Parts: sequence; structure tokens; C-alpha cells
Amino acid sequence: MPAPAIIQPKGLSDRLTALFWRRPRLLLGLLLVPPLFWLGVVYLGSLFSLLIQSFYSIDEFSGMVVPEFTLKTYAELFRAANLDIIIRTLLMAAAVTLGAALIAFPIAYYAARFAKGRWKAVFYLGIMLPLWSSYLVKVYAWKLILAKEGIVTWAAGITGTSSLLDAVLALPVVGGGSLSTSYIGMFLVFTYVWLPYMILPMQASLERVPTSMLEASADLGATRAQTFRTVVLPLAMPGVIAGSIFTFSLTLGDYIIPQIIGNSASFIGMAVYQLQGTAGNTPLAAAFAVVPILIMLAYLGFAKRAGAFDAL
Amino acid sequence: MPAAVEFAQVTRHFGNVRAVDGVDLTIAEGSFFAMLGPSGSGKTTCLRLISGFESPTTGTIRIFGEDVSTTPPHLRNVNTVFQDYALFPHMNVRDNVAYGLMVKGIGKTQRHEKAEEMLSLVKLSGYGDRKPGQLSGGQRQRVALARALVNEPRVLLLDEPLGALDLKLREAMQDELKALQQRLGITFVFVTHDQHEALSMADSLAVFNEGKIAQIGTPEAVYNRPATRFVADFVGSSNVLPPALTRALGGPDEWASLRPEVTRLAATGPVTATVTALRYLGSGTRVVLDMGGTELAAIVPAGQPLPEPGTQTAIAFDPAALHIMAGA
Repeated sequence: MPAPAIIQPKGLSDRLTALFWRRPRLLLGLLLVPPLFWLGVVYLGSLFSLLIQSFYSIDEFSGMVVPEFTLKTYAELFRAANLDIIIRTLLMAAAVTLGAALIAFPIAYYAARFAKGRWKAVFYLGIMLPLWSSYLVKVYAWKLILAKEGIVTWAAGITGTSSLLDAVLALPVVGGGSLSTSYIGMFLVFTYVWLPYMILPMQASLERVPTSMLEASADLGATRAQTFRTVVLPLAMPGVIAGSIFTFSLTLGDYIIPQIIGNSASFIGMAVYQLQGTAGNTPLAAAFAVVPILIMLAYLGFAKRAGAFDAL
Repeated sequence: MPAAVEFAQVTRHFGNVRAVDGVDLTIAEGSFFAMLGPSGSGKTTCLRLISGFESPTTGTIRIFGEDVSTTPPHLRNVNTVFQDYALFPHMNVRDNVAYGLMVKGIGKTQRHEKAEEMLSLVKLSGYGDRKPGQLSGGQRQRVALARALVNEPRVLLLDEPLGALDLKLREAMQDELKALQQRLGITFVFVTHDQHEALSMADSLAVFNEGKIAQIGTPEAVYNRPATRFVADFVGSSNVLPPALTRALGGPDEWASLRPEVTRLAATGPVTATVTALRYLGSGTRVVLDMGGTELAAIVPAGQPLPEPGTQTAIAFDPAALHIMAGA
């Protein structure tokens, strides 16, 4: 007797597969419910409660949170001391993003275009390896490297470039007593710590630019600089933006590096940490926490209008 | 007048691989030239040597008499239609076509005007505002063509230009490319692995095999008088006869080729064969024969009686149609 056209289902797994085949959305729904619950209820819920908190204020005499909607707390952000914190953080985040992008691009470009086989593995290992060790260990290591008695000072001494180092440290605002207590040092550490988050998305977007597109550009008469400006950069832009979202928002929210490196001037992350902890001023902490969100939204809106996502 | 493209003893090695191995080649100005061969035969590398994406390991390449061996691609007055079209996805069709003018610093109004002109040349007027992603394969190829022509190159290179299109579109594009080339009068050099395409479009063609040119000539010469066994087999699947069989069929003791369409089935002949398969072609039937271990084919026109597979038959042909391959 020939085999039947329909095979009898054996066991639960056959029946489930049949059910999912008849109702393709069911499986998708089952897979999406846990993450959507997390995102929708837990994450957006806390974000919403943060937003609510930021519209509360604190009673100056009792130090208690007054649960009434007011813009008083937001007005406090515009006090000179607080505005300084915001501007300082914003400038640092912008500088770190720019610095990371400039260092990351050649590395990502090399990895995407030329690295093959073993060298590709070396690239990934080189980028990921620093992520395996604790963030704190790296920051303290940098403190030792940048300290007055540290490696940089020593290296400057034996190479006879001490005067150059002193000149850099003598710069107004960004300089200081030593690299580890200056904005320059903080910039170096931030850039180092967030660099992988810039390189990886950049590399992924550059990988999707076929060689023939670069050849087509040269074929039509473009110089290397023209090809870079009109073809490579626009096509890599989504990756650059993705990377800059990481470096920008991570710097905006960080509260550890400004504590360990630098001249102990306050940053948004530090302000949030201190206000909700020791100071007990949760509304102002919440208002500070909203600032990076607004900055990121404005940044993305600007990037979209500038056509950064046209190649997506 | 110098030739459009001239190769003198050009080689291109990749490590131990001789992709192009001592090629001499002359492409006349205004001709439609095909480089035909199986994949890995060196035809695409030759095209890239003309465009400048590869440099010769040894030998000289001249374009209109000028040695271009050290000239980078962006300074060569040749343009390429890429196999994957390589259209810029972030630019609309008009900006894609105008790209070559943009990098030369030509103003927006002027270059857009010229781009529209090119688009109408390839019958895509009105598509300027679309993105490449919104076009079909055939339309993308026309955009690639318009983009390559906007700089008014003296030589246009086409890398497997019709490979990604379906049969009907491919045939229409063959006619269009041919007409376009005749209208513009510039030299077209195209690479293909499709012998029908090469034979029907080219004025002359080079057949590549293992980095060398096996034969150069007009389609008619290459098809009817193949120089080597490889050419006979690759260009139109001729019957290749070993010396012993050629002699048995009344020829000299040499390798020979015999086209299936001039091979007829006969009741009697010097050598008998077994019918192994019939392949219906529409306009006729290809009868595959086993003649003492050599596979031969004969085309029986539609309407004529067909032999049964497994039966014995003999073949007959006009002795003048037997082509002796001295170079085999």
C-alpha cells in the first residue's frame, strides 16, 4: 500500500506546529508578550512615574515631597549652578561623541573593508576585550595612567616632552594640576570607555556598503574625498548616529567617571545620584533625569531632519 | 587611428592564480565587443583592467593610444555599468545619473537637465524623483546605463549587463543596447558568459579560457570555425570529433567540429551510433547520439520522424561543413 498523503500527528510538538501553521500570529504573540510586558509596563511605567515625580516639588522647610503638579522644580534647573551642570555635561558628551567618532571611523572602516578571516577575529577580540573587564577597574587604571606621578608624566619626562604636557595642562578651563584632575583627562577616559559602542555600529553600517558602490563613484570621476563625502559617509550615517546615541547618552548619564577623574565639578549623573540619595530631593533628581531624555530626542530629531536616516 | 583599447602581453596575477595570462587584444573604435567565457576565465579581470580597478602585473594597456597602466579609474575617460548596478541608494534617480557631473563641479540646473536627457535616452523620463529601491531590475539597469553615459565616455564597459534580468526583458534589452551603441557610436565592451548574448550582440568577440584568449573574431567566424575544442564546445555546443572519428567519417586525422544543425540522421553511413536521448527544442528536436564513446548531437527539424532511444542510426553531413581544428 502506498504511503498516505496525510501523516498522522505524533505527540504535542506536531500538534503545536500545526496550530502555529494555521494561526501564524499566535506564535509571534506568545514570543512578544514577555518583552512587551517588560517594555510597556515595567520600563514605560517607571519612566512615566519619573516624569510625574519631576512635576512635584519639595517643601523647603520640612524637606518633604509635595505631590502637587508644579513647574517649580523645572524652574530650579535654570538656576546658574544647575544650568552649569547641564551645559558642562552636554559639552563633555558632545566632545566625547566627536572624539570617539573620529577615532572609531578608521578602525571600523578597516575592519569592514579590509579585515578578513583571522584579522576579523582579531578585530572583534580587540574591540570586545576591554568590555570583559570591570568598568571600575578600567577607570581606576586610567587614573593611575593620568595621575601626576603616573605613566604619562613619566613618559613625558623620558621623551623630553614635559614642557608640552605642561603647556596642555596650562590651558584654561580644560587643563588642571594633572591630567587625572582635568577635563582633558575625563574626556580621554570617557572616549576610551565608550569607544567600542561607537566602533561596532559603525562597522556594521560600513559592512553593508558594497565595494562596487565605491568603484562606481571612482569610475564616474570622483576623488577619494568626494567618494567619502557623497557615498561612504551618507551610507555610514545610520551607524554613526547609532554609535553616537550610545556615546552621547552614556556620557550624559554617567556618574562614576566624573567622581574619579576630573576636578570634582558636578555632572548630570552625579547630580541625580546626590539629589535622590543624600539630599532626598527626588523631584529635582527626576527633573535632572528628564534632561538627557529631552536632549536625546532633540538630537535624534535634528539628525532625522539632516537626512541621517535616508540610507536606512 | 589608434584602437579604442589595446592590450599588449597583459598579465594579472593574484598570488599564484594567473587570472589574466599574456593577453593581446585590440578593440576597434566604435565596435560592440564581447568578452565571452566561463566564470573564472579572466574576462571580468580584463574589464577591470580597462576601467582601472585592477593594474596589470606585466604588460601595457592603451586606451586610444595612451598608456593607462598607471592611471587611476577616476582619471580614465571610460565608464562602467556594474553587474549589481551599484546605484547609490540614498540618492534619487536624477542625482544618481547626475553624479558624474556633480563630482566635476557642474551646477545643479545644468546637471539635472543633462540627467533628464540621459533618462529619456534610456526611456525613463519622469522617474527622476524615485529612489533606486522603488525601481524594478530592468529599470535599475537603465539608470545604471544612463549614469555611465552621462560623462560621455569614449568606451563604455558593461559587466554581465543582462545577467539579472528575465529572458523576455533580456532579449528586449539586447536590441536596445545594440541600437543605443549604433546611435551613440561609442565603443561598447561587454562581459558575458552567455554565448547567445555574445553572438547576437557583438561585432566581434574574444573567447576566454583559463586567463588566455582562445579565439578572437566575428561571431560568424567563432561560431562556424572554432579554433580550439574549448571554443567549439563553449560557443554553441558543437560536436567535437576526435581525430580517429574524423578519419572514420571521411576527414583527415585531426580534431574537428561539426554543428548539430548540419548533422542529419541517415539510414546508412561509415559509423553507426546509438540514440541515447531526445530533447524537444520547439523548433526541432536535439537527438543525442553515442558514437563509439563520443557524444554527438543532431538537430531534427520539427515535423520529421524521430528515432526511438536505444535504436541504431548513422549520420550524414555536407563534407564542407566539417571544420578541422588545426589549433586544437
